[in-house]
Amino acid sequence: MATADLTRKETALDRLAARLSPADLAVPTFLVVWSAVVILPLLILVVFSFFQVRSYQIVYEPTFATWQSVVETGRWTVALRTLRVALTMTVIELLLAFPFALWLAKGLRSKTIKAIIITFLTIPFFLDVSSRILVWRSILGTNGIINTVLTSTGLVDEPISWLLYSEFAVHFGMLGANFPTMVFPIFIILALIDDDYIHASGDLGASPVQTLLHVIIPMALPGILAGIIFTFVPLMAAFVEPQLLGGGFVDLLGNSVDSALQQIRYPMAAALSTVVVVLLGLCLGAFMLLTRNRLDLATIFSALHR
Amino acid sequence: MSSFDISRRSFVDKALTLGGLAAAAGSVPLLGRQALAAGETVKAYGTTTAQLRDWSIMENSIGIKVEFTPTNTDIGIFMRDIISNDLGATQDIFIFDGGTENLLGPQGYYAEIIEDQPELTLWERTPDAWKRADWLRFDGKQYGVPVIGNGDAFGYFPEVIDANPDGMDEIPWTTFFEDERVKGRVAIDRSWLQSLPETANFLKHHGRVAIEDPADLTPEEARPVVDFLIERKRAGHFRTIFTAFEEQIQLLSNREVDMINCWEPAVKEANEALGPGTVIYAFTVEGYYKWGHSANVSSQAMERGNLDNIYKLLNYFLGGEYRAYQAKQRGYAGPNMDLGVAYATEHGWPQEDIDLLKWTEEKVARKFEKPFWANTTPVNADVMESEWQRFLNA
Repeated sequence: MATADLTRKETALDRLAARLSPADLAVPTFLVVWSAVVILPLLILVVFSFFQVRSYQIVYEPTFATWQSVVETGRWTVALRTLRVALTMTVIELLLAFPFALWLAKGLRSKTIKAIIITFLTIPFFLDVSSRILVWRSILGTNGIINTVLTSTGLVDEPISWLLYSEFAVHFGMLGANFPTMVFPIFIILALIDDDYIHASGDLGASPVQTLLHVIIPMALPGILAGIIFTFVPLMAAFVEPQLLGGGFVDLLGNSVDSALQQIRYPMAAALSTVVVVLLGLCLGAFMLLTRNRLDLATIFSALHR
Repeated sequence: MSSFDISRRSFVDKALTLGGLAAAAGSVPLLGRQALAAGETVKAYGTTTAQLRDWSIMENSIGIKVEFTPTNTDIGIFMRDIISNDLGATQDIFIFDGGTENLLGPQGYYAEIIEDQPELTLWERTPDAWKRADWLRFDGKQYGVPVIGNGDAFGYFPEVIDANPDGMDEIPWTTFFEDERVKGRVAIDRSWLQSLPETANFLKHHGRVAIEDPADLTPEEARPVVDFLIERKRAGHFRTIFTAFEEQIQLLSNREVDMINCWEPAVKEANEALGPGTVIYAFTVEGYYKWGHSANVSSQAMERGNLDNIYKLLNYFLGGEYRAYQAKQRGYAGPNMDLGVAYATEHGWPQEDIDLLKWTEEKVARKFEKPFWANTTPVNADVMESEWQRFLNA
């Protein structure tokens, strides 16, 4: 009897062990770790937005007061402005970065120059954002280098004031810092594309535009997607450029969160951060919806195996 | 039991003691109270501007050392450090804009000042106008010793508004907010603690909004003040809404703006680049953002056996040497300015410097005749911060 029980247990254990292959364990492990590290803090963030701060101390009584304030003080409009600026900059960066990355990967033959350019592209990562941005103030200001040249050469009668402390200035300031994050993923994926595919397309009578649209871009989609994500997400949290170049006229979510944190208004900061996360989720959902017939995220890398 | 009593570090400390591990706790550097008590070092945490540029001057005078940890004037960070990070466990003295005693005094973070402490020799001769100021006291209790003070206004280029270049005229805040000659070339501080009360005082003075205390605006008072600022912003009156002290200097030095509600040292710094008297720090018609830095003793420091040295430092803040150097280096006044003048004379300072000290005393006395006092911890802080966001988002 006891032997029969033991045999049954061993069989059950064997079956369990057989099922728990490393591949089977990977997904649950990832989900548990990811939930603990990312999802749980996000949920705590949402819960925090339903508390209040009085006399610099958090009062743990559930209330909608913070969310009410988000609406009444117009802080929600900051979310829309942030989204607009982030989307605009992502599109601008993509339009500039793709042709540049294509030239770098397929057009430029000199390995030395290619190495120098790639090194130059990493420079923004080594410098403090504030220091980089601060320089532009003395270039774009009414008494800055550009306005001095324009007025002294007679091209304009008065200094152009919108060069600094405007949305233009903020967009301009963001351009350099976010260019490498768009270029690198696209460059890497383009460099991996076998030149034979491109030559074959030409040999079969495709024009350069047709080759670009039907061969290069589909195969570069993983890099383009990565570039969009790596560029768009940090832009949603940008606060240095709007603060230093926007002159207080281009307040973005990052600045609003910073202002709330300075007053230890953690629930407000939590509410605003929740807005950012929701907006990012909505953007990703909209992106997947729009591309559901053309782009399958699960099989996106299969293009590289062709 | 107050939140102070159960603060994180205190809890750990008490738990260690109760567990018979007091000896071990004493050997941990963070809790090394015996070591601190035996030495002559006072640990201070406070605003950058309260520092002497060279503390060795003080060390030579009174024989104690200061380990000063500077912070900016961000009230949120200061309150967080005291309340949540329990800085009193390691710091003896806190120096910040007056007003924090309203919250931190009753909650037990600040100890009451012992006015007859033997080392506080200058307390008796310090004028009540300074030592009994509201920003040092709460509920009849003395929590702070005055350190420095000033009345903040705005810097301006006299030729732009046809003002007297000697800087002695009172310039109305109307010029700052509504004068067409500076339209589009005015910079306003992004700190609502500074800009919102200054605007409120201007509107109150001219009877345009009924306001009780410009430094603590109720929702009904804050709304029309912010509406006014939004109207001015949309009219294109402001060139920029600045953030940092360095920005104040840059905006003036580059002549990017014609007026700015900045700190007085920024005007001093800008004039070093532009030449003396190029920018003037205004005497105003309507009043000033009058502030004073208060030195407060951590209540935990009372048990560390270093009280004499702590009070030596407090007394130093009331003395001539500190007064003279603060006035010379930053243009700030404080209690017992006459001692500053006496110190400078005795130590052979140039007549120009002595005159500057006398002028600093006159200047601040003139400013302090006008309203209004700043408040770093207004009861309506949440309302004011939220309303300020309407201005920023407009």
